[in-house]
Amino acid sequence: MTALALAPVLRSEWAKIRSVRSLLVALSAAFVATVGVTLLVHATVGRSEADNADFEPVYGSYFGLNFGHIAAVCFGVMAVAGEYAGGGIHLSLAAVPRRGLFWAGKLLVLGAAALPVGLATGFGCFLGAQALLGEYGVGLGAPGALRSAVGCGVYLALLTVFSAGVAAVVRSQVGALSVLTPVVFLISPVFAGVSGIGKAVSFLPDRAGQQILHPVPEGPLGAWSGMAVMALWTALAAAAGWWSLSRRDA
Amino acid sequence: MTLIEIRELTKRYGPVCALDGLTVTVRPGRVTGFLGPNGAGKSTTMRMLLGLDRPTSGTALVGGRPYASYDEPLRHVGALLDASAAHPGRTARDHLLTLALTHRIPARRVDEVLEETGLASAARRRVRAFSLGMRQRLGLAAALLGDPSVLLLDEPANGLDPEGIVQLRRLTRRLAQEGRTVLISSHLMSEMAQTADHLVVLGRGRLLADAPLDEFVGESASLEEAYFALTAGSAEFTHQEGTLS
Repeated sequence: MTALALAPVLRSEWAKIRSVRSLLVALSAAFVATVGVTLLVHATVGRSEADNADFEPVYGSYFGLNFGHIAAVCFGVMAVAGEYAGGGIHLSLAAVPRRGLFWAGKLLVLGAAALPVGLATGFGCFLGAQALLGEYGVGLGAPGALRSAVGCGVYLALLTVFSAGVAAVVRSQVGALSVLTPVVFLISPVFAGVSGIGKAVSFLPDRAGQQILHPVPEGPLGAWSGMAVMALWTALAAAAGWWSLSRRDA
Repeated sequence: MTLIEIRELTKRYGPVCALDGLTVTVRPGRVTGFLGPNGAGKSTTMRMLLGLDRPTSGTALVGGRPYASYDEPLRHVGALLDASAAHPGRTARDHLLTLALTHRIPARRVDEVLEETGLASAARRRVRAFSLGMRQRLGLAAALLGDPSVLLLDEPANGLDPEGIVQLRRLTRRLAQEGRTVLISSHLMSEMAQTADHLVVLGRGRLLADAPLDEFVGESASLEEAYFALTAGSAEFTHQEGTLS
């Protein structure tokens, strides 16, 4: 019954993404920016870095993620906040008055759209970087390598859904981005090195989720426990979005 | 035969009472004009009818049921609330398709309503490039999509060109003659005088009148005059309170 009711909602939500160019651009940008920056860096300084003692050929493959993951944030935010911009949410909820159904459909489609793009990004980064590293490169069989590429895909999908949840609470594109960009761009990278709070920062969604990119993760969280922490953040954001959608006037 | 039944409907936003115990029944087979100054509670009433806003108290039923209890509500009620509801980056046809897909309405029906509202030639253009009048037509097309027995149109004449206004009038008359329930809000009194059979007038969230057009106009020279005589107090109050909707 519920599955029967969900199918048309999924089709509608997928059509919403497919039909807006800026959403498709944001989603592709996650792939293009991440893989592009990674390849650029490896093509220019990759081999000279490879002589350093702390050189991590696996983790280094995802250097571009520092820039590309903001595109996944934008994708999630735009897909939800766009509904609130002109009152489109009124039409959407008039068509699907069961708000839990509407929200489930939207998040499932966003996650399902982001996951394959994320996986392509993960494998694209890893394989591209290793190819450019030549003799210093490792294969997918190296410890943690396959896990990191898959993890990159899961990371981008969860980040998209997390951002969508935040956007449903804030209900504005600018508002949601001004909450999310500092977290992803400033707080995590800057405070991660500060002693004392560094440990707490590693529980932030992006830090925790990126643990999986390391073959041997350091700090309080491991590869999968880090991903579990990020999934928890995502579930929290999705629940907050659902609460906002079902409790407040549309 | 689908009735809109509103009973003791009240909506408060903090200290502001947007709607204060409204009781009214809107009947099928005629065009009911929904009048009142800005902030009188017309849009609030429509949003609560659609289950978008939660009433503070009271009920708003369509066909004896809350709107949200319908499995495929667009087949029962069509609404035009905001002309800006369509995403500017989507084409008119894609906008309607996203709605149609939720109800398994075929794409053929999308093309039909585009034709009916005069948008067929603009169907594959992005809404960003649409004038206000074209956006209103698109909103109307969305309302017609499910071939509903009830239509709620919030100021559909806004931004329409003279030709569009005539088309809208013909369309709403026809829909009422087909036995549908048509509730249409407007600030254009002369247009209402030509379109509506029946009037529901609100002021300060309360019902001021619920009467056939002829009876409402009565001895006054025009609908406009009768309307001003009735709402003078409420408009002034609204102005002093500075509430706009």
